[in-house]
Amino acid sequence: MTTVHSRQEALLMAHLLRRAGFGATPYEMDRALSMGYQAVLDDLLNPDHPDVIPDDLIRRYHVDQSDLRSGGGAHWVYRLVMTDTPLREKICLFWHRVFATGTTKLIQNRVVTNQIDMFREHGMGRFDDLLVELSRDPAMIMWLDNQDNHGSNINENYGREILELFSMGVGNYSEDDIKETARAFTGWRVVNPDYMSIRMRNNTARPYGYMSWQFEYDDDDHDDGEKIILGQKGKWNGEDAVRIICEQDATARFVARHLYHFFVADELPVPQWPHEEPRDPEAIDVLCKSYFENNHDIGAMLRTLFESDFFKDAGSRYARIKSPSEMVIGTMRLAGPIDLPSEETYMADAACANMGQALMRPPSVEGWQGGTEWINTGAYVERVNFAGRILNDSDKQGVRDIIDRIKALSDRQTITSDELVDNCLEVLGPLEVLDTTRHGLKNYASKFGDLKWSDQSLSSEFDRAAVAIIQLVVSSQEYQTI
Amino acid sequence: MTTTTFGLKYVTNVGFAADFGGRGFQLPSSMAIRADGVIFVVSRGKSSTKNSNGIQMVTKNHDFLGQIGTYGAGLGGMMWPTSVVLDSDENLYLADEYFNKVTKYDREGNPLTEWGTKGSGNGQFNQPSGLLIQDQLIYLVDSRNNRIQMYSLDGDFQGQWGSEGDGEGEFNIPWGISDDSEGNIYVADWRNDRIQKFDSNGNYISAIGEGDTSVLDRPSDVAVDPDGNIYVTDWGSQRLLVLDQSGSILETKRGEADLNPWSMEYLSSQDDERKARESFIPVYKADTEDPSEVSARMEPYFWDPVAVELDQDGTVYVLETGRHRFQIFERI
Repeated sequence: MTTVHSRQEALLMAHLLRRAGFGATPYEMDRALSMGYQAVLDDLLNPDHPDVIPDDLIRRYHVDQSDLRSGGGAHWVYRLVMTDTPLREKICLFWHRVFATGTTKLIQNRVVTNQIDMFREHGMGRFDDLLVELSRDPAMIMWLDNQDNHGSNINENYGREILELFSMGVGNYSEDDIKETARAFTGWRVVNPDYMSIRMRNNTARPYGYMSWQFEYDDDDHDDGEKIILGQKGKWNGEDAVRIICEQDATARFVARHLYHFFVADELPVPQWPHEEPRDPEAIDVLCKSYFENNHDIGAMLRTLFESDFFKDAGSRYARIKSPSEMVIGTMRLAGPIDLPSEETYMADAACANMGQALMRPPSVEGWQGGTEWINTGAYVERVNFAGRILNDSDKQGVRDIIDRIKALSDRQTITSDELVDNCLEVLGPLEVLDTTRHGLKNYASKFGDLKWSDQSLSSEFDRAAVAIIQLVVSSQEYQTI
Repeated sequence: MTTTTFGLKYVTNVGFAADFGGRGFQLPSSMAIRADGVIFVVSRGKSSTKNSNGIQMVTKNHDFLGQIGTYGAGLGGMMWPTSVVLDSDENLYLADEYFNKVTKYDREGNPLTEWGTKGSGNGQFNQPSGLLIQDQLIYLVDSRNNRIQMYSLDGDFQGQWGSEGDGEGEFNIPWGISDDSEGNIYVADWRNDRIQKFDSNGNYISAIGEGDTSVLDRPSDVAVDPDGNIYVTDWGSQRLLVLDQSGSILETKRGEADLNPWSMEYLSSQDDERKARESFIPVYKADTEDPSEVSARMEPYFWDPVAVELDQDGTVYVLETGRHRFQIFERI
């Protein structure tokens, strides 16, 4: 029995799959509609299987990704394109943006890849657990110099950033809180801190290649004296500092605003948050309530968000500009699976960088601001060229499926150029576009006239026309939004 | 009855992370040992440092003798080299899985000829990963076509066997290849976690490491000594295993490299690194059970062991991609 779904259902499902994933292929859209919104959301939030990635194949054929120096972005791209647990990957991208850690300073890729693995495991769990893991994360320790944070001589860097950038935001703590938090994290370091620091500083792989780092707690180097953090007095260690931080209203609001910014609609850049009200204060209140009612659980906040009216509202659709990674990964998923070994993952990683989002190489500890920052003339040209290049081959599995479905929407062996455009927009989303965009596409498509596929020659001609329209659609302004 | 206990002891290692060419290796993938003691190590290199591609010539006494071949598509060039082997005239053969070709060099390192194109037909390859020369035949592991092909020393196709699968004589992305003193051929059937043994015509004889309880985990290469002991670089578990013909483990090595003369020379010129290294703990308790990650943290351990070779004295050489070196062991 064929179930007929309303257009509103389809539009809402496409919205969910764009935000909680990287958009849907036509096959994924069919499957999702047959499951229904709630079941799809359950599946996204609670994938019942580990993400399967042929790590052995990647390591054998892309040996630079097994080594530590390079290829981290390409390694992640493979997983992003091939994953069947897209929200788990999306939340990794989310935390990578908030807890921005980069190989620019760390030199090696593997430790950042390990950090992303940690986001994959803890990214939808309790925020407290995530912050403890982040504080133990070797890449973060070296990124923010906590190996230099000694009981006898503190380094405030991590103490400052965990409050300012990772949990509460400017204006919600004092300079004393920074110092006291830093004291709580004294002794949190990596094994062999001196040698690893010097190798990192010297950017050397000698004598025998890079070495991955491991967390180590040195009790002898920890300041176990009394501290006052955010008004609470005690002989606090790092875990206590995290507990105190996570109890704060400001933390709930900070996390809520980040989630809204990433999953609902573009907010102002983070540095302006202390001075400007959220775009939708009521939505932030709803998410804060969810934070406290669910024991600081990020997954529960995401459920609240995706079930909310403010998310489902038609005004939220296309209210965000796609990040480069969303643009690149979504387009590659449309084109179909990647073979190994492949240069495609390296090209995709480079394309993200050229569009302004070098994975694992954020511009600073503040990460990427997003929104309009993503679009400038050069980045737009890169987007259009990339999407056109990826979808230019009608033999690619994903492109083939799109073309076949465009045909299948016609009950005849022929189609008008207007229908070609309408069908293409339907299959590629459904993608909602402005009337002017649709008119422009149809105007361009008119040069193809009526199209048929009744024999091989006509079918090839149809394929070429369809690919041209697909490429034009992914060049549109609407495709740049999500 | 007398029981002989098998054992190996670490002797030294040769290698250095040569980022920009010169003395050392960069992500080495294969090695071959000439009768005069010259060791040929092929560096796969990386795309960002193209001049690290090549076949470096060294000895086990840490002499660096130069390099054959460079990055590139022309005759003698390479991009993703996977295997190097010598014939009885000491010509050198190199397989490249990017170009899907085999290049033949003379004893002086001059490229003589090359053959191969991508495909699955006779004389075509899809990512050749291992080479063996026996008599006047080259056995080539055609990894993604899951078969072994045979060629004359000038590249004329002579035959093939194998197909995809996990049955007898079938393969799942095989990798290295070797033979024993009786001419039997051993193939590291990588994704089937086993070593398969064939006669020289490709007739199946036996296998080590079958099924879910296999003692092997993604074996990358194999060598067999005159006593029939089988040496396996078990890439997945990051170990060297020595097994008897029944598959019982005789010896396990995780790697124990120390600073070799090239490394000590480097550190002697890097005062800050040398001083910091005085408090360096090379092996400690890891908080992960992932063998690859453990290898990435512990400098003395094998990291991605991809080749095992024996010289005429029975000395064992284990080449590690991740640590840009090979470790040398001798029988106790």
